[in-house]
Amino acid sequence: MSSSSRRRLVAGGLSILLALSTVMPAAAQDMIRFGTALSLTGNLATEGKLVREGYDFFVKTVNERGGIDVAGKKYKVEIVYYDDESNVNTSVKLYEKLISQDKVKFLLGPYGSGITIAVSNLTEQHKLPLVIAHGAASTIYNRGYKYIFGVLNSIDHYTYNMVKMASEQKLTRLALLNENQLFAQLGIDGAARQAKELGVEVVYKEKYSSGTKDLSPELEKMKAAKPDMIIAGGYTNDMILLARQISQVGLKPKLLGYLLGPTLPGFVKSLGADAELTLEPVQWSINVPYKDQFFDWTARGYADAFQKVYGHVPDYHPIQSTAALQVYYNAFQKVGGFDPQKVRDAIAETDIVTAYGPIRFNEKGQNIAKSMSVVQIQDGKPVVVYPADVAETKLKLNP
Amino acid sequence: MQLVAQIVLNGVLLGGFYACMALGFSIVWGVMNVVNLAYGSMIMIGAYVTQMAVLQLGLPFAAALPLAALATFTMGYVLQRALLNRLAERSVFMTLIFTFGLNMALINLNLILFSADVRSLPDVFGRASFTIAGLSVPYGRATIFAVAMAMTLGLHALLNWTPLGNAIKATSFDPDAARLSGIDVPHVYALTFAIGGAIAGVTGALVATSYSFSPVAGESYTMKAFVVVVLGGLGSIPGAIIGGMLLGIVENLASLFLDSGYRDAVGFTLLLLVLVLRPRGLMGRRFFAEVKG
Repeated sequence: MSSSSRRRLVAGGLSILLALSTVMPAAAQDMIRFGTALSLTGNLATEGKLVREGYDFFVKTVNERGGIDVAGKKYKVEIVYYDDESNVNTSVKLYEKLISQDKVKFLLGPYGSGITIAVSNLTEQHKLPLVIAHGAASTIYNRGYKYIFGVLNSIDHYTYNMVKMASEQKLTRLALLNENQLFAQLGIDGAARQAKELGVEVVYKEKYSSGTKDLSPELEKMKAAKPDMIIAGGYTNDMILLARQISQVGLKPKLLGYLLGPTLPGFVKSLGADAELTLEPVQWSINVPYKDQFFDWTARGYADAFQKVYGHVPDYHPIQSTAALQVYYNAFQKVGGFDPQKVRDAIAETDIVTAYGPIRFNEKGQNIAKSMSVVQIQDGKPVVVYPADVAETKLKLNP
Repeated sequence: MQLVAQIVLNGVLLGGFYACMALGFSIVWGVMNVVNLAYGSMIMIGAYVTQMAVLQLGLPFAAALPLAALATFTMGYVLQRALLNRLAERSVFMTLIFTFGLNMALINLNLILFSADVRSLPDVFGRASFTIAGLSVPYGRATIFAVAMAMTLGLHALLNWTPLGNAIKATSFDPDAARLSGIDVPHVYALTFAIGGAIAGVTGALVATSYSFSPVAGESYTMKAFVVVVLGGLGSIPGAIIGGMLLGIVENLASLFLDSGYRDAVGFTLLLLVLVLRPRGLMGRRFFAEVKG
């Protein structure tokens, strides 16, 4: 190929691209566009993928049904995605891009509390609603922000039902251990408060540095305090080490709970017997007794429909994403338009029931209508054991 | 007192593991003046190979471990021969940038191949412990310690009592003189990197049994190896052991007596102290880079 014909080819390609880029916005007019940056690569990529599936599943469902009905007209839905590489700084830049370049007015939360805090500073400045599906830190909601709404239970409420179970089982000596990191600290501090409230004594409470390769000093001290229940918080890597070392140092609590871990991919497979009978509070399970008021599915119905599309049973991540979009879905219909301020006001008045659970926000933007279920690993499978109206089977204590 | 003794013992066991993972990092740095930032990713590859060998090929762990070592040995040789040798005579920064990039490439390759899921091998050594003088020693940690020590002795023997060892040392001190005496310098470099790789592979196999691993988890191992090597002295095998044990014990005691959150702070304070008082490291001779001028 001669150099001039190659140049012509490049020029031709460029002009086609240019033409395409001017056509696209026109075609997008009858679209409602949401925007989000997710951790599609990097160390949060596992969760990022699940989060995206939930957002996508809503889009697919709504578009298949003709779109969202706003003031008598059907609008299809589309989400502009970026990859934040699990990095806070990248995420903030991408949301800036979503707002200023892509002109997205309705934002969906990223994955993770740290990233959500940073991103919400930006969306609040722009006075644009941010519906958070995966930011559980209570600090997100304690800053007096008016444009943020989280559909999930925030972290300081995670352990409430676990501690309540302990007190109902007459377990009175609780040991708490967490990674020295915001998410885990808030959760375990919450557990300490709940223990006090429910009359359970906290006999040990400490934190450890992230990425520690030996937790035996902490566990030996914990052992000396003779706990009958342990609740630990941290990310999966450390929790796997913790689970191993708990049995190695000979700690035998009646109950062992994690802020998160047992239901994440890899945990049970990695630990085998050491994962047995461990507990985790979950935002949602297939057994929750809610029937969606918008789509004709129950929690199980959602899971079945989801599995047909993505080939795996959803944990709580996808449906939490879907619920965030349902909050918008409800608000658009209430407002009959797309003015961000009016949509924000309608979101603040949300009072709906979804397959994920009931959603109603307090003045901080926290969902106060829902509580956490508790899951236990029995015979290698996660089953819901608490509260009673959701439980699949009975709680088992370690001998 | 019993508790303190137990914690010190645990620190020694942990230190053996630290020493083991630092060896491969140390030898490459010492001989070639290459700070291998992709070292942790090579450990992760060792862990993945081990896991596949055990779960998919159904091999016993004892057979999977050499397989992991072989995989990272080969990888190390090829990388050095094909790519790093071209940079060997250049500045340290070139090799730093190269291994930094290599690390990113390996992390993303692992993400594509294995996904970001956290993995681990369940129950290779069981959960049991044995007791010495009232102190309990979990089989898992004891095995790691034993493998680490065996590998250290093996490397010591290799470097001091074999012709290859002499060639490696000679090349490390003066590549030009080594070349003049008929040593195939690029081959020796590649073998050194490969040995470092094999050690990473073995470390990875051990990580798979007692810890968890994921594509991004390697960096914390590179960091630990770095600290241990600087503590103990560059390129020194006894240094790696002493540096590893010291760090293991000090970290564990810090967790016991101070708030556990200070664990890393105490480790790095120790590093600073050693750097100020004895910059060549506890067992280090003169800085290799310095010798090479």
